[in-house]
Amino acid sequence: MSASQILVPGWMEIVESAVHDEARQHAEEAALAALVDQYASTLYRVAFSVLRNQQDAEDSVQEAFLRVLRHREALGEIRDHRVWLVRIVWNIVLDRKRRAKTRPETDDIADLARVLPANGLSAEQRAAALQHHARVLACVEKLPAREREVMMLSAFEELSSVEIAAVLEVTESSVRSRLFRARNLLAELLQHKRSTT
Amino acid sequence: MSPSSENRSVPTAGALTAEETLRLIATLPAPEELENRVKAKLQSAPHRRNVIVWPFAAADSWMRAAAAAAIVVVIAGGGWGVYSHIQVAPVPSAVVEPQPLNGAGRFSTAGAMHVPQTVQGPVVATPVIEKEHATDQVPRMKEKAHKRGTPSSTERKRTK
Repeated sequence: MSASQILVPGWMEIVESAVHDEARQHAEEAALAALVDQYASTLYRVAFSVLRNQQDAEDSVQEAFLRVLRHREALGEIRDHRVWLVRIVWNIVLDRKRRAKTRPETDDIADLARVLPANGLSAEQRAAALQHHARVLACVEKLPAREREVMMLSAFEELSSVEIAAVLEVTESSVRSRLFRARNLLAELLQHKRSTT
Repeated sequence: MSPSSENRSVPTAGALTAEETLRLIATLPAPEELENRVKAKLQSAPHRRNVIVWPFAAADSWMRAAAAAAIVVVIAGGGWGVYSHIQVAPVPSAVVEPQPLNGAGRFSTAGAMHVPQTVQGPVVATPVIEKEHATDQVPRMKEKAHKRGTPSSTERKRTK
């Protein structure tokens, strides 16, 4: 058996496996691109609702998809991609928020002023609305972490209580009870704030 | 029942306004070109598969065996080469210990001797025992006793 007889089949196998790998890589990239197209804006809104900063929210979305890229072999095993992606970005933003310093209320107002639509309001009305939103967000921040998380996720129209339970890895009944507590606490906090000011 | 209505069960007035704010934030549109920026980031990210493929994969198992044997031979030969070049020094029959400098390596006393000044104690003279004189005394004592009329210990036993 000559050396060429040995090398040629081996080389052919390398080429075949390389072609196969390349095709698989292309397929994975296409699947990932489809996920980006479908869910990037949802993930961005989830991230923004917690971080309330455009750049941080976009960074979180990118980080979430980078994590998906690292575990792209597992994409086929995921049953519900949306819940899975929301859970990834949720963990990222909570981690970022934990590490970041507490934001003053004035920062919230400034950021909201940049992103909220005017909706035909006058300058005074708009300023009053921004103040109100900032006050509400400050009260939301005062809620216990469990209740706050459920409250924030429940604001998303596209997430059912079952899906919220899946994101937070708790039972659905737990989500409902936390939401009930969160609403009561928030009402009390807002009432207290209104009476003090 | 839609998911949103499912979540919003009996909210109070304060909570309703709070939820409106949260919902307003939750419905904000994502920035333009977000998807493209994310895709660009993903493409620039390093791919994980950077492993060199074995060039003769599964083609010839004997080549793998030969390569493994060659590696073993090289390692073993190298080890033996190193071992053969090391000359072990002969073990001496007697170990010559070097003379310790000044005993335990301390400074020398330069010949000075430390003589403690002690008080002159009493001198005990050793008694000189004259052996012959001592042996002669025993019969003399017996004679004395006999003269005085006191019975000796053997006689006393007999009388009893």
